Parts: sequence; C-alpha cells; structure tokens
Amino acid sequence: MSSAGTAATWGWAGGELPSNVTLGAGTLLTGDFAFKRFHSTRADALTIGRDCTMDGAQFALGATARVTIGDFCYFTNAVLLAELELHIGSYVVIGWNATIADTDFHPIAPAERIRDSLACSPLGKQLTRPEIPKRPVVIGDDVWIGPNATVLKGVTIGDGAWIEPGALVTADVPAGARVLGNPAQIVAGS
Amino acid sequence: MTAVARTLPWDWYDGTLPDNVELDDTAYVETTFSFLLYRSERQPGVSYGKGSSSYLGTMFDVGPSGRVRIGDYALVHGARIICDDEVVIGDHALISWNVVLMDTYRFSSDPGVRREELRSVPAALPRVLTGGAEARRIVIGDNVWIGFDAVVLPGVTIGEGAVVGAKSVVTADVPAYSVVAGNPARVVRTIPKEDDDVVED
Repeated sequence: MSSAGTAATWGWAGGELPSNVTLGAGTLLTGDFAFKRFHSTRADALTIGRDCTMDGAQFALGATARVTIGDFCYFTNAVLLAELELHIGSYVVIGWNATIADTDFHPIAPAERIRDSLACSPLGKQLTRPEIPKRPVVIGDDVWIGPNATVLKGVTIGDGAWIEPGALVTADVPAGARVLGNPAQIVAGS
Repeated sequence: MTAVARTLPWDWYDGTLPDNVELDDTAYVETTFSFLLYRSERQPGVSYGKGSSSYLGTMFDVGPSGRVRIGDYALVHGARIICDDEVVIGDHALISWNVVLMDTYRFSSDPGVRREELRSVPAALPRVLTGGAEARRIVIGDNVWIGFDAVVLPGVTIGEGAVVGAKSVVTADVPAYSVVAGNPARVVRTIPKEDDDVVED
C-alpha cells in the first residue's frame, strides 16, 4: 500500500514494499533484512494490522507461506520463519532475536536428510526436496515473548501468556500462563 | 559548553559517542553503532574502565534513567544491554556474543496495562517505550565469564569468578566461583579460586 507523505512516521522505511504485503495505518517497518528472505508468492503473503512497530523484524517466508499480524504489536529484531502459516494476534510483544518457526526445515530420517542436502546443494537444482512437516503457529492477543526465546512448529500460545526470555516453547501454552526454560515449563498462572 | 563531537577514526558507522559516555583513555569502542538505541540522561550514562572494550553487536538499549558501568579490562563482545536502572559489569568480566543483560522487561506484566503502553508507542518519535515497568539492577561480578546467547534477567547478581554457560537463562543470583548452565540456569559445579595460577607458567 502506498504510504506517500507519511513514510517518515509509518510505512516501510526500506523502499518499495512487496506487492503481497499489506500494512495497516500507523504501522512502521524498519531494518535492512526485513524482506531479504521473503519468497512467498501468495497474494496475501503478509498482512500486518494498524499501529504496529516492527523494528528490524525479519520475514523469512517460503513460496506458499502466509503470516498475519494484528494491531498494536511491537517486535524488536524478531525472526519469523514460515513455510506454512503464522497467526499473531494484537498487542503482541516479541523481543530481540526471538525466533518463531512453523517447520523444522529438514526431515528427521537420516536417509531423507541426505536427499534433502542434495536437493539444497548448488548441484541439486533439478531435484525435489522430501516432504517436511509444517504445522501452523498461532499466537493469541496480549502475548509477551522475551528476547532470545524460540517458538517451534505447531504451537498455540493462548491470550495473555508471558514467554520468558530464552524460553524454548515446544508445546501449547494456556492463556495467561507464564513459561520459562528449555523446554519451556509453566511457572505461574493457569 | 558544547563538547567537540567524538568520533572514532576506525568506525565504519557514521556516528558519534554521546556526551555522557565516559571513556578511559585506554578503553576501546569498536563502533558507535552500539549507541543507536542509547537514550540515557544520566551522568555518566555509560562508563568504560581502564583497558575495557566493546565490540560489534554490543547494543546499549539504555533508557533515560539507565546507567551501565563497564569495569577495568572487561571485554563486552556483543551484548544486548536493556537497561532502565543500572547494569554493572565487573573488572575482567568476559561477555560473549548475543548475550542479553536486561534489568527490566520494559512492559507491564498486566495485559491491560500493556495495551495502554502499546497504544502509546506509535505516537512516540523514535518509537520506543517510555513506560514505567519496574527495573531492578543487574550486577555482573569481577572476573565473571558469560557464554554466548545467555540471558541475565532483572535483579540478578552474578558473584565474582563465576562462569555462565552458553545459552543459559539466569533467573536467580549466582554464587561466586560457581559454574551455572541450563535454562533455567542451575549450579553444575564450583571452581577453586587458585589466586596465583595467572602468573605461573
């Protein structure tokens, strides 16, 4: 969307926005790496609501991936890795260097991984990669995610949950819970 | 009273050292990029001790009331320092890359209050939180070594000579001369003090 005349206070600070990205009014995107790995060709690849601040966030989206983000979110250098779907609610805070991924990117079975390494190599352009599990990540409203935290594929984080810095979230987090550790455990709430 | 703008001859970033950064003559700052998020109004806001240094990747995300003290010979090799009160780094401390030292969560733990804080962000220039989340001082003792990707949470004191393993999340005080590791970090062993080893062959 055009942000002519208002680019100083909102819009994408890095030039032309990919045509399949929609930013709500008052939303500001900064950082040199926001779209360096943005490969999604979906028409609705990335939708961000109003009055969000995405300072240095990286949107690494695969060819068919889709990411939606609500209103009034505040991300600092968050890394969003999507091959399928990430849904992030409103009033969500994501701290520096926190990572959210909806896939493990490579298969677990050793033989499959050899096949994958060949397909990923500079010599493997005509090979197809093996099927790799992807499961959507859903993050509710009012969730706070600390710096260096990680959220893995298939996880649903309930409204108002608090993810402590450095936590590695491998399972669903109930609404209002506070989790900490690797793997993340509930330490308060819910 | 206007001080001459201090630049660093080797700096790749076109910035200056803020006036309230106190630098010992023997200290080394790799780049003023480290001060991109720096907003401290304290005097000094950051102080570098004798022979101390900060390198690329170190970011002083210091609010108006925050202050960071870097001890003599301390080596800060890429810490994200989120500070609204005080972060003290002791003499001879070694801080690795992607370490987070935070004396505040910046946001309220109450979702309702957090909404108000987030609604105020878009009007701020630059867009930073000025909110009143509680800040609790962090102290990294003398001769402490913190491994890469570790996080030190608000209010924590790490005792002299301790070692914090890579990727640890330190949620509670660490006793002097102990090794902690894990997330959350636990004491995995203690280390003898052996004062004189440093001068032996």
